[in-house]
Amino acid sequence: MNEASLIGLFEATVSFGALLYLAALGEMIAEKAGILNLGVEGMMAMGAVTGFVVALQTGNPWVALVAAVAAGAMIGLLHGFFTVVLGAEQVVSGLSLTILGLGLAAFVGRGSVGEPAGAEMVSVDWGPLSDIPWAGPILFAQSPFVYLAVITGFVTWFVLWRTRLGLAVRAAGESASTADAAGHSVVGIRLAAVATGGGLAGASGAYLTLSLTPQWADGIVAGRGWIAVALVIFGAWRPGRVAVGALLFGLTLALKTRLQTFGVDFSPILLSMLPYLLTISVLVVISIRSRNRPSPAPAALGIAYRREER
Amino acid sequence: MGRRAGRPVLVRREQVLRGGQPLAFGIGLAVALVVGIVLLVGSGHDPMRVYERMFEASLGDPRAWSVTLNRAVPLGLAGLAVAVAGSMGLWNIGAEGQIMAGAVGAAWVARVGGEWPSPLLIAAMLAAAILGGGLLALGPAIARARIGVNEIITTLMLNEVAIRLVQWLVHGRWKDPDSHNFPLAPMLSDNARLPGLFERAHVGVVLAAIVILLFGVASSRTAWGYELRVAGSSGATARYAGISLERKILTVLVLSGGVAGFAGGIELSGTSDRITESLSNGFGFAGIIVAALALMRPSGVAAVAVLFGAVQIGGQSIQTMGVSSSVSTILQALILFGAIAAGVLSRYRVEMVAGDTTEVTS
Repeated sequence: MNEASLIGLFEATVSFGALLYLAALGEMIAEKAGILNLGVEGMMAMGAVTGFVVALQTGNPWVALVAAVAAGAMIGLLHGFFTVVLGAEQVVSGLSLTILGLGLAAFVGRGSVGEPAGAEMVSVDWGPLSDIPWAGPILFAQSPFVYLAVITGFVTWFVLWRTRLGLAVRAAGESASTADAAGHSVVGIRLAAVATGGGLAGASGAYLTLSLTPQWADGIVAGRGWIAVALVIFGAWRPGRVAVGALLFGLTLALKTRLQTFGVDFSPILLSMLPYLLTISVLVVISIRSRNRPSPAPAALGIAYRREER
Repeated sequence: MGRRAGRPVLVRREQVLRGGQPLAFGIGLAVALVVGIVLLVGSGHDPMRVYERMFEASLGDPRAWSVTLNRAVPLGLAGLAVAVAGSMGLWNIGAEGQIMAGAVGAAWVARVGGEWPSPLLIAAMLAAAILGGGLLALGPAIARARIGVNEIITTLMLNEVAIRLVQWLVHGRWKDPDSHNFPLAPMLSDNARLPGLFERAHVGVVLAAIVILLFGVASSRTAWGYELRVAGSSGATARYAGISLERKILTVLVLSGGVAGFAGGIELSGTSDRITESLSNGFGFAGIIVAALALMRPSGVAAVAVLFGAVQIGGQSIQTMGVSSSVSTILQALILFGAIAAGVLSRYRVEMVAGDTTEVTS
């Protein structure tokens, strides 16, 4: 195990961590407003294919990113329409959204399989910072998506916990009728939160096709959307803890292809079970502890709100 | 709160529109087909020819029916698994993984008992499949029953674990030494395969129909089914009536997993020639849509499963016309979304209200 391969491991950990973090932040925002969206996998696929196809058309990765965010937000809004406006079961609508997103992405991308990328996000050049041993390559030579994820994390924390808007969002997720009585539009808040979540999932998908693996293939999201759903719980609906979880789960993704180079005789497939098993363990611990103190989960998560039936 | 120009609200109808769910389903299907036409025309295909081909390949003749029915088996059993849990207000999102776990159980028995007489071997495989699926659901069941852990997330997470378990097996211990280093498990021996029924259909079709029928009778005509529904609608009422919620949750979730596992066993023994990581090709997730469309009723599950089987088989057939099979994936999701919307409109009507937003309508 030499220095270069260790640096490579941590560099990949940060990259994968940012990929998961973007999508998980989006899911967290939706859940904070009370909407469980199991469509992350499909929204990421839509972002990935949209980013790739628009990059082919325009050659501009930033335009592609904006398009991917818009695509994610739009398909996210579909879930919003069904669960918030029509009050449909969130679990069913979300899973259908995953199926729809994967199907649509395969349809849109059917002519682009194997095509070389039209544009890629160039790594940010931090000047002398990039030359610092270890920290340079790991932290200061990453794709713009990594810094975007960090900034989004701070903004999410600030907005949700330090502004009136954030208070309204959290109120909608804790007790919709209270939020309503306080004069907030629960429908508007929840729709906006789900759209924001979809946009971030779209950005995460675009990170795949514009930066990490610049190509389009069916199944490119490869279950990472489910990891993002898991992360929200693992991180107990707090941006900071979700970030720690994203790095930990990112490490398992980074290790998967590297175990052998490190001479570790452990199946990379068994290793890749870890994020899911850890999340289940965290959920069990949360449940045991919440006998004595309140659960970190938003109280109204998954419950449709119809003011007419208050 | 000021007065606004007017906004639409959903107002509960005094009477639910008649025809309810089948009508909603039909509307969902119509919505899906119309959107499908747009997609097909947009990509330069003749939609009517594509739909005709889908129909012929899935429901056009006995052979087409046999393939469709084979496909309806895992969809229907997965749907039943979701519906069994759903009748008590529980969500089993883990059918995808439980199907895999069932297939692992059945494949293990097939490895051990390759020389056994066929009926004995198949019976043992299917029993092991039920056990495998039930076992995967046992953890979430205990966690939910004893400490109230949300079963949606635990069952969802175990899907990914079960798929990786199969990957690990076929890449390692169960790899066929004659597969030239491909990660493939060996083919099933002939005596491990379900007998045929007609054309391509296997007896799994009958087995699945019997299981669905049994659950249909049990849920609508027995005290057990009644208790489930009571427990599902109100935990407090159930406790008052002396129903043990803990035990009900435990048995229902494990049973639900067992039904999904059974689907995995049949899929392995009847359709797939070996266990692969794609054996449960989204059947578990499609099962959730099937159950939702059937309003968690076993009788509806069978009908919806056949229709979804037809859409899936039809979708595969149009690939030869150069049409992406993703069209059928899109259709399946759209049927559900269309049906949800129609279902809501059968119970509510849209009214424009002007002004005072605190007004309570009922």
